[in-house]
Amino acid sequence: MVAIIEKRDLRDFDWLTTVLAIAIACFGIWQIRNALPAESYWTKQIVGLGIALFAFFVVVFSDYRRIIELAPFFYAFGLLLLALVLTPLGVEVNGQQAWLKLPVIGQFQPSEFMKVPTVLMLARYFGKKRAGALTLREALVGGAIMAGPIGLIMLEPDAGQAITYFPILAAAFFLSGIKLRYVIGAMLLAAIMVPAAWMIGVKTGKIKKYQQERIMAVIDPESVDPRGFGYHTIQSIITVGKGGLSGIKGDTDTSQSVLKFLPEPQTDFIFAVTAENTGFIGCISLLLAYALLISRLVAGARESNDRAGMLVIMSFATAMAFQIFMNAGMALGFLPVIGVPLPLMSAGLSAILTTFIAMGFVVSIKLRRFVN
Amino acid sequence: MKLNESTQNVPVRITTIQIVAFVLLTILGVRLYYLQIVQGEYWSERAENQRVRFIPIPAPRGAILDRNGKILVDSRPTYNVVLSNEPLKKIDVTERIPEYSKGLNLEPDIVLERLNLIKKQNEFEMLVLKESATMQDIAWVESHSLEFPELRIELQPQRFYPHGTMLAHVVGYVGEISPKQLESEPYKSRGLRPGDIIGKGGLEQSYDEHLRGRPGYRKVIVDSRGRVQSEIEVVRPQSGQDLISTIDLDLQIAAEQQLANSPTKRGTIVAMDPNNGEIFALASAPSFDPNVFTQGSKTPEGRKQIAAYWQDEKRPLYNRAIQGNYPPGSTWKIPESMGALQQGVITVKNSNMACGGGITIGNKFTRCMGSHGSPPLSYAITKSCDGYYYRLGLKMKIEGLIQMIETFDFDKRSGIDIPNEKISQTPKSWKPAIEKREGRWSDIRTVYASIGQDTVVVTPISMLRAVSSIGVKGRMYVPHLMKEFKPIGAMGEEGTSGFFGERQGFTFDRPDPKMIPMTPEQEKVMVDGMWGVVQGGGTAGSIRIPGFDIAGKTGTAQVASLGKDVGAKKDHAWFVSFAPAYAPEISIIALIENVGFGGSFAAPAAKGVYQAYIAKKHPELLQALPESTAKPGEAVD
Repeated sequence: MVAIIEKRDLRDFDWLTTVLAIAIACFGIWQIRNALPAESYWTKQIVGLGIALFAFFVVVFSDYRRIIELAPFFYAFGLLLLALVLTPLGVEVNGQQAWLKLPVIGQFQPSEFMKVPTVLMLARYFGKKRAGALTLREALVGGAIMAGPIGLIMLEPDAGQAITYFPILAAAFFLSGIKLRYVIGAMLLAAIMVPAAWMIGVKTGKIKKYQQERIMAVIDPESVDPRGFGYHTIQSIITVGKGGLSGIKGDTDTSQSVLKFLPEPQTDFIFAVTAENTGFIGCISLLLAYALLISRLVAGARESNDRAGMLVIMSFATAMAFQIFMNAGMALGFLPVIGVPLPLMSAGLSAILTTFIAMGFVVSIKLRRFVN
Repeated sequence: MKLNESTQNVPVRITTIQIVAFVLLTILGVRLYYLQIVQGEYWSERAENQRVRFIPIPAPRGAILDRNGKILVDSRPTYNVVLSNEPLKKIDVTERIPEYSKGLNLEPDIVLERLNLIKKQNEFEMLVLKESATMQDIAWVESHSLEFPELRIELQPQRFYPHGTMLAHVVGYVGEISPKQLESEPYKSRGLRPGDIIGKGGLEQSYDEHLRGRPGYRKVIVDSRGRVQSEIEVVRPQSGQDLISTIDLDLQIAAEQQLANSPTKRGTIVAMDPNNGEIFALASAPSFDPNVFTQGSKTPEGRKQIAAYWQDEKRPLYNRAIQGNYPPGSTWKIPESMGALQQGVITVKNSNMACGGGITIGNKFTRCMGSHGSPPLSYAITKSCDGYYYRLGLKMKIEGLIQMIETFDFDKRSGIDIPNEKISQTPKSWKPAIEKREGRWSDIRTVYASIGQDTVVVTPISMLRAVSSIGVKGRMYVPHLMKEFKPIGAMGEEGTSGFFGERQGFTFDRPDPKMIPMTPEQEKVMVDGMWGVVQGGGTAGSIRIPGFDIAGKTGTAQVASLGKDVGAKKDHAWFVSFAPAYAPEISIIALIENVGFGGSFAAPAAKGVYQAYIAKKHPELLQALPESTAKPGEAVD
């Protein structure tokens, strides 16, 4: 592969994006260590980052257009893995059968990886040159592409992971010329339907007690069952607030995560750990780094050679932005507790590998922006 | 932008997505600012509150010693199973009841009671679930530490009463403060908390503040399940001050033995130093075991035993010396005679009064036990002539008797330094009620009152105090059991939160004695009469100890209506005395319930204590004595 890297490649390689992503991932490893210094999550994450970087470079130096052509195969393979999760090969953790355990490869989360083929599949379909606004037919096909993975993920059930797919479709529709009146209409409809669905769901019992509590915990965490979701939310808020301006400066002996007040500190609540350890300064720096990264992606999308490449980058950028918002919003106690990892930060091989594969496409697309 | 698709406004749409992403990140930043900068201190404090715990280290109570330094009460370390509050807040405690009661061998209702108590106390983190844990209990708690993180084993000092029932009424006992006591003075202002151990009854209660130490604490960091992770600070407790009591254990043992050997095994013996009010011995029988209260209050057997004490009709919890009101019978004649001399009803030179074998009031004849002619005062005392006192009482009038009652403080508490002392009931307190009911105070009541019956009931301690004053020129002291408190050194570093200042030692703050006005001649005639009771052929001649003259007075107080002598309602036997007669070192009162003559039962009991005193203070007297004279002799009234 090295042989095919040309001088031009090195000149056009997006070093800043790459370094930024690696820097955030390293910052994440430090926070994983802060969360539970006595555990091995942070060393595993270093290994994970190494594997992710390898995958990243493989993707960077592959021609993304050819991979997009092959998208249906990846997509079908992804659906197969998601289906396998539901078989006895799947592993259940905390009531969710979201993991697949295969010999040699080990344990991984197909719902994380599936984002890549889904994005590619949508980019392949919506990436052709187009003249007018999004048609109903296109919308239905896009919805169908999305329905496969979301449907299988909901069967696990992993609502948090499923939700992260919606921004991808929304971005694809939006950039494929969906008429503004539909966008506004959809927003209005949501504004009416969501509360209505809540009322009906609670009354009919379709929304289960624990699901209601998750929502109620956000509105008033102190009033909900202190053992349940309200407890998690409150503990996360305490952890964040405790960090203050500059954090606890390495005094991890009394940290909320070490004393086990904060649940899942290395994954779902890594942002709270960051807030406790590095304070407002650290968190704002992290958010600025994310903003810079997203800006780099958007810039790449603008420079993209073709629609498909633009769609791939914007889908990833949108998905990343929403995932950051959902994860941090949960840690900051204003969004319900759902298991969405913080991109590049949360411990977990599947998540970091998927993110770096996505970054690989972004850099690959930028690399080939002058190629035709 | 290379994509030429401006018809769809793609660049604008990309910018829109970028703006949305930035808005989302800005929302996060604003929320962060609010939580970390605006509310940072509040959350930091909450985090600290949930991880920092104060585990109290109980302070050992001061020991109680006798006047010679022998241990009367001390504390010994025991392992207790302790409940923490924090982990229990998050669970339904009723699930724990069967587990605890099985694992620790406790009654479910006791477990429920303890759990409810700790649930109610939000601020206080621990409560004893089981005292004196066995090795099995400790092993069970340790092996279930993951399941029940709220349980801990703590080494705590427990009050121990090595002498059991002996001295129980003097020392009292300790127990957990009750919710009612927590709300009331003087405990409220002392900052006591639920689960704190306080003195209940006796010296434990009177001097609780000095005996109680100042508890320390361990400031620790706990995890979310309440398990201790590390220690931040330890403040060592300061022990309570040791109390040296006035009790002489040897005399106490003698007094207890005398009561145990008495026919009814009910009564009281008090020995006191008439020169200052220090009590050498105070026994009241039947008694109770204070260890039952300190160790048994959380076990069903212990609770049954405590309930049995309360229900026992012999009333073992009741301190007969200070709470019993008994008709004093002829012992009453001592203060009465002194009162008559003071009031000039009789004089030293002219104290004769007719015996007449009795007296007729209206158409009712009340007899004397003998026929004594027209005796002078000292002879009347020696022989306990009722006829003499019927007439003396009538001559003094009820007003004179009441004046005497006031002189000798029979209308007040003696002021002894243990709680719940009762006041004697005398004509002073009865007269208004009787006059209201019967229209007048009749002479027959004066006659009965003059021999310590009917409207006269007194506490043994008040009688001892009054009679003791006669041998010491009228100095009537407040009886007391506290002699001295030992100092205790300062603990911790000065200026830190863990500093406890030194507590000074101090002795009993003795009030000035009440002076009973009497001339040396009056005193002599009184003591002569009392001397005669033992040495001059009087009613207690049987207890004579050669070389050690006792001045005393017997009493045989009728309990059933006058003149009858039925079964369990036999007379109370009294003997009140001091010795040596003309230079008293010790005064003793003995009261044996429902046995009969004072000279036959109470006086020999007092003698037993005198013998213990002699063995200790005047051993040369014992060596000089031939064996035969020490045996108890025959009895008259």
